[in-house]
Amino acid sequence: MESVCLSLFLKAHINLMHWAGLGLVGISPVQSLVWECFAAVGLFAGNLSPFPANSTPFLSPSLLVASFPANFSRLPFLLPLNLTWSDGQSAMASNGHSSPFGQATPNGNSNSSQTPRRSSRRRTNNSNSSPASSPFPLETPPSRPAGVASTPTTSRRRGTRHNPNATPSTPLSTDDAVPPYSSDRDENDNMETDGQDDTTPVFVWGTNISVQEVNGAILRFLRHFRDARSASESSEAADLMSEGKYMRVVHRIMELEGAESLDIDAHDVFEYDPDLYNKMVRYPLEVLAIFDIVLMDLVARIDPLFEKHIQTRIHNLKSTVCMRNLNPSDIEKMVSIKGMIIRCSSIIPELKEAIFRCLVCGFYSDPVLVDRGRINEPTRCLREECKAMNSMSLVHNRCRFADKQIVKLQETPDEIPEGGTPHTVSVLMHDKLVDAGKPGDRVEITGIYRAMSVRVGPSQRTVKSIFKTYIDCLHLKKTDKSRLQIDDSVNHDANNNAANHEEDDASLYHDKIEKLKELSKLPDIYDRLTRSLAPNIWELDDVKRGLLCQLFGGNALKLGSSGASLRGDINILLVGDPGTSKSQLLQYMHKLSPRGIYTSGRGSSAVGLTAYVTKDPETGETVLESGALVLSDRGVCCIDEFDKMSDNARSMLHEVMEQQTVSIAKAGIIASLNARTSVLACANPSESRYNPRLSVIDNIHLPPTLLSRFDLIYLILDKADEQTDRRLAKHIVSLFFQNPDNSVQEVLDLTTLVAYISYAKKHIHPVLSDEAAEELTRQYVQMRQRGNTPGSRKKVITATARQIESLIRLSEALARMRFSQVVEVGDVAEAFRLLEVALQQSATDHSTGTIDMDLIMTGISASERTRRENILAATQNLVMEKLVTGGPAARALELLEDLKKQSSMEVHLSDLKIALSTLASEGLVVFHGDTIKRI
Amino acid sequence: MGGPQYDLLMNPLGAVRQTFEKAVASSQPSGLDPTAVYRGKDWGIVDVLNQFLFSQGGLAQVPILDASSLKWIKPNTLVRFRGMVQDMLGNEFYIGAFKDGCTWRTNKFLDFSPFSVPPVSETTLWERHLFHCVPVPGQNSWAIESTPYPLKINISNEMTCQHGEKRRRDDDPDGISDFDCCDEGSSSSNKKQKDCGSASHHKIAEITNGSSFPTKSFSCLVKVYDMPESQFKLNEVVEFIGIYTFDPELTTSDRSDNVDDNMSMFDFMDDVATHLPPSKVPRIHCLVSQKLSTQDLISNSPACEPLPNVIRGIRDSLVSYLSCTLGNDVIAAQCLLLHLLSKLRVKSDVASVGRLSLNLTGFTQESASIFGKQLNNAIKTLLPYSHTIPLTIEYLNTAMLQPKKDNESGRLLMGALQLASGTHLTLDETVMQSGTLNSKGVENVLLLKHLMEHQIVEYDFQFYKLEMATEVQCLIISEAKSNILPADLVVPVCPSAVAPVSASEEQLHAWRWYLTTVRSLPYSTDTSICEMLQNEMVEAMRKDRSLGCSDLSRWMTMAQLMAASFGEKSFSVEHWQMVKEIERLRKERL
Repeated sequence: MESVCLSLFLKAHINLMHWAGLGLVGISPVQSLVWECFAAVGLFAGNLSPFPANSTPFLSPSLLVASFPANFSRLPFLLPLNLTWSDGQSAMASNGHSSPFGQATPNGNSNSSQTPRRSSRRRTNNSNSSPASSPFPLETPPSRPAGVASTPTTSRRRGTRHNPNATPSTPLSTDDAVPPYSSDRDENDNMETDGQDDTTPVFVWGTNISVQEVNGAILRFLRHFRDARSASESSEAADLMSEGKYMRVVHRIMELEGAESLDIDAHDVFEYDPDLYNKMVRYPLEVLAIFDIVLMDLVARIDPLFEKHIQTRIHNLKSTVCMRNLNPSDIEKMVSIKGMIIRCSSIIPELKEAIFRCLVCGFYSDPVLVDRGRINEPTRCLREECKAMNSMSLVHNRCRFADKQIVKLQETPDEIPEGGTPHTVSVLMHDKLVDAGKPGDRVEITGIYRAMSVRVGPSQRTVKSIFKTYIDCLHLKKTDKSRLQIDDSVNHDANNNAANHEEDDASLYHDKIEKLKELSKLPDIYDRLTRSLAPNIWELDDVKRGLLCQLFGGNALKLGSSGASLRGDINILLVGDPGTSKSQLLQYMHKLSPRGIYTSGRGSSAVGLTAYVTKDPETGETVLESGALVLSDRGVCCIDEFDKMSDNARSMLHEVMEQQTVSIAKAGIIASLNARTSVLACANPSESRYNPRLSVIDNIHLPPTLLSRFDLIYLILDKADEQTDRRLAKHIVSLFFQNPDNSVQEVLDLTTLVAYISYAKKHIHPVLSDEAAEELTRQYVQMRQRGNTPGSRKKVITATARQIESLIRLSEALARMRFSQVVEVGDVAEAFRLLEVALQQSATDHSTGTIDMDLIMTGISASERTRRENILAATQNLVMEKLVTGGPAARALELLEDLKKQSSMEVHLSDLKIALSTLASEGLVVFHGDTIKRI
Repeated sequence: MGGPQYDLLMNPLGAVRQTFEKAVASSQPSGLDPTAVYRGKDWGIVDVLNQFLFSQGGLAQVPILDASSLKWIKPNTLVRFRGMVQDMLGNEFYIGAFKDGCTWRTNKFLDFSPFSVPPVSETTLWERHLFHCVPVPGQNSWAIESTPYPLKINISNEMTCQHGEKRRRDDDPDGISDFDCCDEGSSSSNKKQKDCGSASHHKIAEITNGSSFPTKSFSCLVKVYDMPESQFKLNEVVEFIGIYTFDPELTTSDRSDNVDDNMSMFDFMDDVATHLPPSKVPRIHCLVSQKLSTQDLISNSPACEPLPNVIRGIRDSLVSYLSCTLGNDVIAAQCLLLHLLSKLRVKSDVASVGRLSLNLTGFTQESASIFGKQLNNAIKTLLPYSHTIPLTIEYLNTAMLQPKKDNESGRLLMGALQLASGTHLTLDETVMQSGTLNSKGVENVLLLKHLMEHQIVEYDFQFYKLEMATEVQCLIISEAKSNILPADLVVPVCPSAVAPVSASEEQLHAWRWYLTTVRSLPYSTDTSICEMLQNEMVEAMRKDRSLGCSDLSRWMTMAQLMAASFGEKSFSVEHWQMVKEIERLRKERL
């Protein structure tokens, strides 16, 4: 009987020590016993001290690394600041009389003042006197004749740890009979309810938490929780997998010796037992302590020899708090916040256990535990023979240390209200979490919000009334950096992941998605989207439509057998006169697109766009750094002043724009990086104003090979046209006369537009319908035939295979805009219209007025080619006439004069020179500077 | 002196205590927990104070805290402080109320508890927000209100008991008088500060170089209670009335614990306030606060309403004054007036409407020294906040224009472009020589350009940039049209005579009143002339193909400002014609 009570008591103490990291205060007959067990079990909870005890010299880091063994304590719950011993005592004494703890009671200002709270959490109902004299509830160990139900586990664990081979002292017959994890529900429930029936429930002081109840709830959760999804998938195998989700995880952890923590999804807890979830969030310290103990019990049952302590790490709370909304009522609660790490401290070694050596006789002391941030240095040697005074010195190598780190977390830009500056919060990381995040990472942290008092100075007793706050980190998750979640449409695994994600967030985003879907059903959604894109840029509707298609994009296709892939991204080039708001369009697109990168051609180098290799200055390792195109993978790369880009840089784009990869081979790194990016470039004509008499190629001086990779090329020309002038005037006047109330309602705001696009990109993968495919073929054939007008001898290519790819992409994008899974005939028609508008502008042969793809493919139109042929023939005739083989040379200018006389068309010297060089290559003439000789 | 029962001026804390006790006493019968009732709420002290300040004329008796008055103002008294919110330091939790024996006491409006700290169970945590405030950058002397002289005598007579502390502070004159707003160590030789501030010393040197603001300014840590933080925005000008606290005991021990321990973690846990030692950065516990617009700075405005003929009279005299400044150039003076009246009205994603940045060209080094100086003086005397940046290569390469967050200290370092809204910025390009800009120089130019085009300054938060909307009028003085900083309106100045400029104090006052009043006039829209405007524009475009979107919107802006300059709310054909005439004359000069 006595031992049972004791063990129960011990359990309470073990966990409170474990949690609060407290030493023992006060004098109690049982205390020494407790202490012994405590030490033996190895639940050493230390404290870090801001003011290291004078006896503890600071330690050089080199000594620390090796001496950090697996640690049993749950460090996150240790307060980093401690009062001195005397402070603690006085605080405790004054707190000794029981005063009710409100549920929202803020944290104590020191460790020690929390002691009574924890220590008396096993206060029973029948304890008629509150522990006024002693902080420990010693006087009423609950009388439990059949207390076997829950206690033996503790003692067994203790036993195994203490002496694995020894038989536990308490009778364990009932428990032994139960197979370690034959999670027979009834039996367990019986067992759990037994405990409750037999004893009066034990409450954590100041809360409505009954320890047994929570204990039972956690046990049930761990044993029986099954993932609804995985369970439904394998309903047949459910019998075989009699273990719950977390039991499997526990087994896995035990198999892999390395793991030390069990990640528990708070959503699972909520799903299984909302009450437990609420308790856990409101009283995390208490509930997590029980959680750990239950887990230890569980592990001990499975494998009594398992030595490691598994920590519970809760993550994925149901709601995250905004950093600036943390307020005093959140203190001591479990919170989950998102932010960006801006600063990490160096790893702070925290002394857990010190060993001293006598300088006189060399005697090593027993490990001395950190007690409230201090080590009590023995003043004299403990050896009977020696007993030298003040001879003990710390042996660094034999001390035990734990890792700790303080991280500053800052709000991310999206959470900062206008006109505010980001808030920061300190986060305390322990053990495994140290260095889990680096400055610049966006993370989601689950932890306990805590406050500690600020002391005025080390020598002063007065404590400022101000509290510093920090978060004890339980779990850290890195969140995606990108503004939008972009799914990987090439990779199907990623697709599944995205679907999972979607399910998780379903409850949150369900309404939003419904709204988007409603929007998509509007008959004028296409026009509405067009209007919403850069509403302040007036006109240019067709250009905007093209850009919209680019944002939505087509489907990327992977041809299974050959491994080749067809890009789904649409590339657009805008060419136009200065001052036609091209750059503004680009800026807007950059804002809209996920992972948009904006560069200027003039300032971009080839490596800056693709990737480059650098040497890390510290380690000397070669590092691959991504350039703009790689960084905008799955986004839009906006390149302003495309024409000013160096040829070298531009040539790098060839690969990117068709193969969608960037290959580099240098400095020992051969890599091919994905650059599935849509390129949106804009260029000014080379003579600053577009010369309509010249071809696009001549106007912008871009190689045709590159030009042909653009799906749509728009010419934005500043044409003299009263209609457009009037519209411009109207636009400007309306800007000034804008009434806030009559602003256009039908325009989607930026965030909605972004959400709309990202949803469409993620979830809509339209397929060509049969009719649409037919229409596509028909129109394409028609388009090609347009070049071969009957009666005309010359062959004009009006469309190429690249165009049909573009058309498919465009019509897919158009279907996506409607959230339609099928590409319909209408989409194809619109795609043709868009392409034609673009071609009419860029690929029209100005001498004939027809579309000629050769203009873009080679830079020379068919009519130009016939003209050249004519001149060549004329020149050849002239040369045959005028020059004799080996005779005197003729001057080019003379020839030109003759040619002009002969032929009806206008001939330039450059034309003649082209013709002559062709003749020279045929071996007819020799052509030196200005003189021509016939051979 | 103060209210009937409280001496609010000299012992505001007493009033705080008494009102609190009264409030607690009155709530006791209802059985409510006073701490819960008064968390984040006022218990009557603010009402008492408001009554004292605004109904009983107590406001004039409250001394203004500034660098000079800091020396003689007694701690724990009521002060007034006008400043710009330079940085938001987040919130602070403190023991708001606690039970001392059986009475409840409060720590509100106090830095630390005068009583011993009670056990946890009997305290409640309250929250307050910290703002780091500096005197408005570029504030011109006429706009700075100072404490009336007689009051100083009064108070300093009572100061004799304060002698010890006063002496202590007098010991480090550098620390207070030369204290730069953006540092904590400065170049002061103060021994005490040296050892604790040395870590951040090199950073400070950099800032001091970069900032061209006078270094005599000081800063204030304002603790604001009972309101959401979003109440104030960055760079807003606010007047705080509150309790100035200073505790020598706190100061002596300040950070001394950090000096000897080399543990980096305590820097981490330190809140930013420790980087602002109380000896240098006074604490104000704000009781009443009020946002200030430029209008509030014009003391005792003329009692006249904005009547058209009065306005016209003031306008004419102002134009002649401005043309005098510019060597009798009336066109330039007209443009300058429009520029001074411009204000960003509408800002959408891409376009911004209402701003009119001005580029006065045709200045050589010599003429700039004459007219530029006159112009600067005129602007200084007319506008409350103005700032001049000499655009030299060296300046651009070295200056810190961009406000930057220093994550080490957790502070936002003030850049030259962290300006209160309504500040006038003059960029003097005449001093520019050819040279090479380094990366910082390029960044600074881009920043200025972005400011001019979009009225936005990017603040550097190391891992990301945050765009802050600002409202700054930019005037560029240059030899020829500035290509680095494209202004909306380019006007070549043709000075014909150098005339001595003078204006009487009444005139200046009237002009100041005119500028602030007219700027804040609301615009209304008269859609009847829309059609006419459109026709005019189409006609103009047909004549001149080079006209673009920007020219047309500039005309609209100018016409609107022109109307406003006459005190009209919406513009008429007449104003449009005036603008067209100015534009024609301007074109002739180009």
